[in-house]
Amino acid sequence: MSQLSRIGTVVKSDPMSQDIFPPRVKRWLFTTNHKEVGILYLVTSLFFFVAAGLLALTMRTQLSVPNNNVLTETLYNQFVTVHGLLMIFWVLSPFAFGFANYILPLQIGARDLAFPRLNAMSYWFYLFSGVAIIMSFIFGAPDLGWTLYSPQTAFQFTPTIGLNVGAAALILITVSITMSSVNFLVTMFKMRAPGMKLRNMPVFPWAILVTIFMMLYAFPSFLAAVLLLYVDRAFGTFYFSSIQGGALLWDNVFWFFGHPEVYIVLFPAIGVIADVIPTFTRRPLYGSKYVIGSMIAAAVISFIVWGHHMFVTGIGLTSTKLYTVTTIAVSLPFDVMVIAMIETLIKARIKLKAAALFALGAIALFVIGGITGVYLASVALDHALRGTYFVVAHFHYIMVGASIMGLIAGLYYWFPKLTGRMYNETVAKIHFVVSFIGFNILYFPMFLLLDMPRRIQTYAPDTGWGPLNSLATIGGFIFGGAQVLLFLNLFLSQRRGPPSGPNPWDGWTLEWSLPSPVPAHDFDTIPSIAEDGTYRFGNGPGYPNGLAHIDDSKVGNGLAYSHLEGMSPWPLVMAFAAFLFFLGLSIGQPSSPTPVSYKPFWPLIADGTILGVISLYGYSRERFSVHEESHVESWPFREVPNVKLGIWTFLGAEVIFFGVLIGAYFFVRTNSATWPAVGELFSIRNGFAMTLVLLTSSLTAIMALASAKIGSRNGLIAGLLATFGLGASFLYIKATEWIELGTHGVFLVASGLPATSYFITTGTHGVHVVAGMCMTVYLLANTLKGRYTKGDHDAIEHFGLYWHFVDIVWVFLFPLFYLI
Amino acid sequence: MAVSNTQVIFDNLYGIFTYLAIIVGVIVFALMAYLIIRYRAKNSSSDPEDTPRLGRIPTSRGHGRNVLITVTLSTFLLAILIITSFAAVDTLFPNNPPNATWCYSIAAYNQTQATGQSCPRLDVTGHQFYWVFTYPGARSYTNFFRVPVNTTVVLDVTSADVFHDFGIIQFKIKTDAIKGRTNTIWFIPYKTANYTIQCFELCGTGHVGMIATLNVMNVTAFQNWYGSEK
Ligand code: HEM
Ligand SMILES: [Cu+2]
Ligand SMILES: [Cu+2]
Repeated sequence: MSQLSRIGTVVKSDPMSQDIFPPRVKRWLFTTNHKEVGILYLVTSLFFFVAAGLLALTMRTQLSVPNNNVLTETLYNQFVTVHGLLMIFWVLSPFAFGFANYILPLQIGARDLAFPRLNAMSYWFYLFSGVAIIMSFIFGAPDLGWTLYSPQTAFQFTPTIGLNVGAAALILITVSITMSSVNFLVTMFKMRAPGMKLRNMPVFPWAILVTIFMMLYAFPSFLAAVLLLYVDRAFGTFYFSSIQGGALLWDNVFWFFGHPEVYIVLFPAIGVIADVIPTFTRRPLYGSKYVIGSMIAAAVISFIVWGHHMFVTGIGLTSTKLYTVTTIAVSLPFDVMVIAMIETLIKARIKLKAAALFALGAIALFVIGGITGVYLASVALDHALRGTYFVVAHFHYIMVGASIMGLIAGLYYWFPKLTGRMYNETVAKIHFVVSFIGFNILYFPMFLLLDMPRRIQTYAPDTGWGPLNSLATIGGFIFGGAQVLLFLNLFLSQRRGPPSGPNPWDGWTLEWSLPSPVPAHDFDTIPSIAEDGTYRFGNGPGYPNGLAHIDDSKVGNGLAYSHLEGMSPWPLVMAFAAFLFFLGLSIGQPSSPTPVSYKPFWPLIADGTILGVISLYGYSRERFSVHEESHVESWPFREVPNVKLGIWTFLGAEVIFFGVLIGAYFFVRTNSATWPAVGELFSIRNGFAMTLVLLTSSLTAIMALASAKIGSRNGLIAGLLATFGLGASFLYIKATEWIELGTHGVFLVASGLPATSYFITTGTHGVHVVAGMCMTVYLLANTLKGRYTKGDHDAIEHFGLYWHFVDIVWVFLFPLFYLI
Repeated sequence: MAVSNTQVIFDNLYGIFTYLAIIVGVIVFALMAYLIIRYRAKNSSSDPEDTPRLGRIPTSRGHGRNVLITVTLSTFLLAILIITSFAAVDTLFPNNPPNATWCYSIAAYNQTQATGQSCPRLDVTGHQFYWVFTYPGARSYTNFFRVPVNTTVVLDVTSADVFHDFGIIQFKIKTDAIKGRTNTIWFIPYKTANYTIQCFELCGTGHVGMIATLNVMNVTAFQNWYGSEK
């Protein structure tokens, strides 16, 4: 750490916030450096790990004997819900993304992520979302399980505000995850060192890449689901509380996200294990291309297995059988991964350091988790096992056994790189042995409790479940206690451990070529990889003659890597603004004595909005240039600049988002016995007019870009103005339509599913139009200052992409709502 | 102990899965343990030739052939599991359940038995936080119901409010109770006793107590009970 702090002090501070915080604090608050953000992620996720773990130990205490009453039922239900949410969203992925932040750019020879400020923003959204979920306890935390099943989420069944706060937290963390997945995707496609082909990347970056793809397609579905849930609660609509939508709509949308999500939390750990094992067995990973291929295969299949969470909802024999086959099929790629890891050991020279022990232990536990997953995949067995402790055992073997243990392997493995110091190996080995034994005492009995329902606060003595539960509780305390060793060891070693040197494990990946801890600017010169697979470090001596040459004295002046100076307060402020905004939306009062909905708390919303606008302004005005290396090879996006690729991937996520909204509309519509006839509600003429207006605006956006390209400022202004005007006309027609419908008093947002689906879907689209119009205003202002017409028209092009997308969405909405 | 046809089918299938799981598990763990012990680093030994080293991309290692063998073997095992599971689920949860016969001993249903028709299904409705069981003629009971042993019983399960899940623990069957939908399950009890019904989906504060009893009686006892309560 010492080195990093030294660098912190040479940072040129930005005048705005110089005096408010001492430099050391400021460095952590305003940093955009991938390594510091990585450490923030790690520390924060471990904090949530402890918090969620304490909830779990309290639950285990409650369950240790029959008819116990340490926790009331409500409190137990809150604990079980928040424990699950925290572990899945606030621990597993962020823990992994701590490593991804710190290590991944080094492993692919990049000097940071593609968008460092966006990265910092992801972190702050993550932190504040975590604050929100913990704050929800003040308002009565969500108490219906992390799966948030409908219709219990409806206001009439769960009137506590805590659920709103919880939902807001989920929205915030989804935003965080979407931002970081776009960021990492662009980084990996655009910023690899020259010669670093995709297939040359170590397995860890590959695992993150596959994870990100799953995130990009799974999380928008979740976001749409939680938004609809939020709307149901805020406006009293009926997406999930009606019979036509209801439980099954939620089940489908949630598990379409939920199953990929379980792989999202697993794959980074597999990547860590696949990096750790070759280092400590001294042999290359067996069949690494098959391991990577399997990951891709499993990721693809993960999107067609969600029905195995719905085996007993009554979706019919044929569907359940299909899902049985797809789910069982997905175990094949995992099979390949495990076998490859084991075959790596053949003729190896295995050094059982703590990291290796955790990696091998994780594989063993994963085998048990995977095999029991096959039990659950059998629809016949699942009718008995669903909702029991067997399921709890299954996924803990995977999520704790494989994911957490694998990530702890990473913690020991990279600890010297992060801190420059060694931890105590003996204590770490004891930590492994005690954790491994404690783990099995904790979770194996749960397989035998296959009759006991999960998520119950207590049970009667005559069930016979007492002894196994007592055993599990004992195991829980052993496992929990073991983690004290981890924290003590790392905390003390970070201060006093012996220096580790750059490459204590004799690892082969690029991060080991740098000093430990890694200096702020990472590489002096970006390495490259020659055709024959050897590294070159710029003009300097390449390995094996010497390590990458680093001269610390240059940091902050001579070399002056741009974002060393590029601290920015805005990511933090922006995240805080979003936090206030959503808190305000969430903590209002019920609007009537018999609540179907509640009124938001406007002061906070206003504060959040104002702060958001200020930070958006600050963000866009700030001079923040990221040094972009000209990389030789970045197939397949050779010609595409970072920002553009970022926008494309973002739009990909938007497609899923609107896909789910439209899918939900289809779902409720096909389940409804009656639906207003075509033309009865909406005038086709109006719809037609809006379509025409919006399509024309696509043309004017193209004209704006064309003018910018030929340097015609007037043309550009005209194009942007016309686009703005057409957008405004669209909204005008839309608004009259809404008012028209509303004045009859029968077609309000909460007056039935036809109305709800119409208002919500077109409303979301409308918000996108408004956002686009704000962009035109911003672009116009800059145009008037003389920008964009001197070959610097990128921003116009990016805006165009977004605007066309919004228009295309309307092209789908128009026929779906007005013509059928 | 056979308590119902569903439990027997479950136990058999679970047995097949568990045998295979143990075989696979033992092989995998034995292999892992053997390799770890066999190839543990000794001070005297030196790194293998292809040890990955800083400064170059490691040489690739591994045969497609081995991957193919693993996948083929696993596919074979998994196929067994799929086939046996499908056979079980076809009996346990068919789209059309078999004829219910629980009512045959009741005088009013003489004709039903004579013509080999199905007895009415019983309705089960989940409420926060109790179960209601309804026999023909709107005879309903809260948190318990009775059926005669060795007859076929068919239940139509639904919910009056939130998402519940109806499970008869010892019979190893369950189905979700969802408002607006009806899910059907059936079973043949083999033994007179009380069995526990519990809600398997967290449905609010009170869920833990959402427990009911299924009382399986011998035929005459059931006849008497059903006839005596009108
Ligand atoms: C690879 C990492 C895996 C993770 C992280 C994981 C995690 C989970 C989780 C969290 C659940 C519980 C959902 C709930 O009810 O709240 C679950 C259930 C299930 N898992 Fe896995 N699982 C994994 C692998 C597998 C595999 C390989 C299979 C099958 C081959 C499988 C099959 C199932 C099935 C069928 C269920 C549904 C059980 C039920 O709720 O009745 N899982 N898994
Ligand atoms: Cu799943
Ligand atoms: Cu319940």
